Amino acid sequence: MTAGIAVDGLCLSLGAFRLDGIGFAASRGEILVVLGPNGSGKSVTLETIAGFHRPERGRVLIAGRDVTALPPERRKIGFVVQNFGLFPHLDAEGNVAIARRGDRGAAGKSASAPPRDPAALLRHFGITHLARRLPGDLSPGEKQRVALARAIASSPDLFLFDEPFSALDAQTRDELRDELKAFLREFSIPAIFVTHDHTEARMLADKVVVLRGGAVLQSGPTAEVFQKPATAAVARFVGVENILDARIAGVSGGMVSVDVARTTLRAAAPGCAAAGSAVRIGIRAEEVMIAVAAGAAPSVNRLDGKITALRERGPLVAIEIDAGLPLHAYLLAPQARAMQLGAGTAVTVEVAPDAIHVMTD
Amino acid sequence: MAWLLAADRAPGAPGERAAPSSPRGLYLLCWFLGSLLTAFLVVPLLALVLSQSWAGFAQVARMADVREAIVLSLEGAFLSATLAALAGVPLAYGLARTSFPGKGVVEALIDLPLAVPHTVAGIALLMVFGRQGVLGEPIAALTGLRFWGTLAGIVVGMLFVSAPYTVNAARIGFAAVDPRLEKIARTLGLGPWRTFWRITLPLARRGVMTGVTLTYARSISEFGAVVILVYYPMTAPVKIYELFLRFGLDQAAGAAVLLLVVSLGLFLVLRALSRGAPERENR
Amino acid sequence: MKIVSTLTALGLFAACSAPVLLAAQAAEPTTLSIFAAGTLAVPFKQATAIYEKQNPGVTVQAQFGGSVKMAEQITDLHQDADILAVADYNVIPKYMFGATPHASWYAGFARNAITFVYTDKSKYAGEINAENWYKVLARPGVEIGRSNPDTDPSGYQTVQMLALAEKHYKSPGLEDAVLKNAPLANMRDTETSLISALQLGQIDYLAIYRSDALQHHLKFIDLPTAINLSDPAQAAAYKAGIAHTKNGDLAGTPIVYAVTVVDGAKEAAAPEKYVALLLGPLGQGIMKNNGFGTFSPAYAVHADAMPADLKKLVQPWPGS
Repeated sequence: MTAGIAVDGLCLSLGAFRLDGIGFAASRGEILVVLGPNGSGKSVTLETIAGFHRPERGRVLIAGRDVTALPPERRKIGFVVQNFGLFPHLDAEGNVAIARRGDRGAAGKSASAPPRDPAALLRHFGITHLARRLPGDLSPGEKQRVALARAIASSPDLFLFDEPFSALDAQTRDELRDELKAFLREFSIPAIFVTHDHTEARMLADKVVVLRGGAVLQSGPTAEVFQKPATAAVARFVGVENILDARIAGVSGGMVSVDVARTTLRAAAPGCAAAGSAVRIGIRAEEVMIAVAAGAAPSVNRLDGKITALRERGPLVAIEIDAGLPLHAYLLAPQARAMQLGAGTAVTVEVAPDAIHVMTD
Repeated sequence: MAWLLAADRAPGAPGERAAPSSPRGLYLLCWFLGSLLTAFLVVPLLALVLSQSWAGFAQVARMADVREAIVLSLEGAFLSATLAALAGVPLAYGLARTSFPGKGVVEALIDLPLAVPHTVAGIALLMVFGRQGVLGEPIAALTGLRFWGTLAGIVVGMLFVSAPYTVNAARIGFAAVDPRLEKIARTLGLGPWRTFWRITLPLARRGVMTGVTLTYARSISEFGAVVILVYYPMTAPVKIYELFLRFGLDQAAGAAVLLLVVSLGLFLVLRALSRGAPERENR
Repeated sequence: MKIVSTLTALGLFAACSAPVLLAAQAAEPTTLSIFAAGTLAVPFKQATAIYEKQNPGVTVQAQFGGSVKMAEQITDLHQDADILAVADYNVIPKYMFGATPHASWYAGFARNAITFVYTDKSKYAGEINAENWYKVLARPGVEIGRSNPDTDPSGYQTVQMLALAEKHYKSPGLEDAVLKNAPLANMRDTETSLISALQLGQIDYLAIYRSDALQHHLKFIDLPTAINLSDPAQAAAYKAGIAHTKNGDLAGTPIVYAVTVVDGAKEAAAPEKYVALLLGPLGQGIMKNNGFGTFSPAYAVHADAMPADLKKLVQPWPGS
């Protein structure tokens, strides 16, 4: 059994809330993101893996051990929460030093065998100068390092992150995310990261599990979940902006023709459904290409339309187009300026066939 | 006055005219009411202290039975506060962290001793801990411990009326500790006991110490419940009352002032302990 | 806006309470303030009921406690009282006739006796009687309660009675033997606070007044009048019973309840009427019903200082 995390058929009732047969797995060095709206059960799942709730059914396996019956302190888990959960009455060194288990046996630890001694850990993370500082006097970045050093000091086989960045500004989040990713690669410990932000999930995850209402809607490698969401619900949640009702017109080779509104589009969807069946198609906004020039050579999935709205989104502009069917697209702001786009501008849009994802829902 | 003006320039309201609801009005009200209450509490005590001539006070301070009574009160109150802490702190933690059917009833029951007239409390305790009491009889038979006219009786009287303070203040202190910190401590390998001892309790220290201090103070001053069980040996309140009966106001006031001075010193120490700088964990 | 509404709220509150406070002042019928010994609580409440019916414009506010404490509340704490009634007639001349006099006469209107009360639960309850009581009380394991002789009359009266008993029964060491079973732990300020201890079985016997025994329906021992301090005519003999207290050596005197009107009472008519009620047939009836002995008529000291209506209700104190 590889060193990793596996959750199998977890069922749990907590007051009015239920977890229904949750299962997923990640191996050493993998980051698995549990993505879902608030109230979907992400935190409860995490806490069950950590050992704070007893599942009615199901198992939790960490580094090959069945820990389902073990108390949290015996599960070898590093737990990082929003604002990093440093103990406010201990200074940085005190926080790192309080971890236990750091000195026991070295079997099965991470490849780079980091030191467990608090002073050495502080050195490793470059925060020796913060040793005497209290958490209240640390910046978020410094807090993250202390929290990670503390967690590493207890020799975890698994890391759990419960939306640690949700209270931070965008730039800090990006920096910390990058540092976190590098940290996890370095120690090669599997991690489960919980968030409701699909952008964050996309940036961090090797695998994604989409959770809603206590049940897994889809799980798989990041690219697969984001490009090929299984259902419209998942699609909405992974940020597919264009979800449209359609009907299958015909199937030939690896291509499928779908009738959407009054247009027919061709999608590269391996044999999913029979002709005539009602489906939904999903197109990510960034896959909708915009050209202003009219009358260019006809191409697959080219539609003429008019811009109905433009919204500034920082470096991007979100564009809504009516091309017989409503479409959302993105352009970089300078591009949009250069093309002199405004409400009412006539545009031509093009969508590559493999950007159209067919969902039988 | 600068701080009054500064209050108007609170962030988010630059250049706004000071509305009546601005901090300045609120601070003034707080100052005013606060001064009234503080004066109400301090002035009678001050009057008591100033009523004593130094010579009269020194004479009372020389009376061995007065000093013994004060020491007995401090001893009894110390035991009472200790017992309140040992049993009350776990109870407070349970109330802060768990919910169970009837929890509201339990919390109301804990407040009840505060509402019971002290004499009634004393009689109820005598019923239970007296010579023929449901607990007093077996305890005396098994251990020889008696509560009538003994330090144990004093402690029982004190504890009954003052334990609720420890439980309530500690409960609030524990409730203010983020349960996630306890969870994190567990994942770091600390068992439930270690977590309570190294994380929860230090973070709740303020609340716990406030509660214990209140219990200690309340125990020192208790008269009605204690005197039903124990007249001799005399605690300070009982002694002061006896002095009043025998000699009148002046001597009684002198003993009271001595008690106040000693208590004040103790409370300052206890408050200083409760503040405490954050520890440094050095393994 | 907030401070305006806060101040308005405070103002409304003050305005609402003002009428109540003023009403409490304005309405006032005359108040008659009585400080009396604890043992007089029950009979005085009954007398007050009759008095208030006879004098509708007057409300009686009575406070009960140790006789000395009540006297000192007047002399030391300068509290306002119209009438002082004590359980030991000596308290009045001792405390109220001092350098700054607070009273000028007193009338003895009832008498009492020291006795021991007990319950069915008390040790040797089945055996004890008026002949063997002092032997039973001296047995080991018997717990006796009494009040503090340094602060309370019944406390030193108990000791005086035991001293007299020692001579009466010609049993040397009787006083110490009985007092051995009444250690400090069994002592209280007033004997009445030990009644619950008796009822709960913490003590077996309680030294208390006969009137309390009857009022609380407790069994009691009929001690001989030669020792139980109930007869003013035996005052000379009682002097031989001496109690050594922190206030000095106190010689036994008859237990006579005395009452006086405090000097400087705001309005003399109301208190005088109350005392008249006490000294008259109605008052005497109430005292008898509550287990006290009476004198017909009441005895008085410094009767010439008394108001006329009261003077005619009394006779000179025996032996004066």
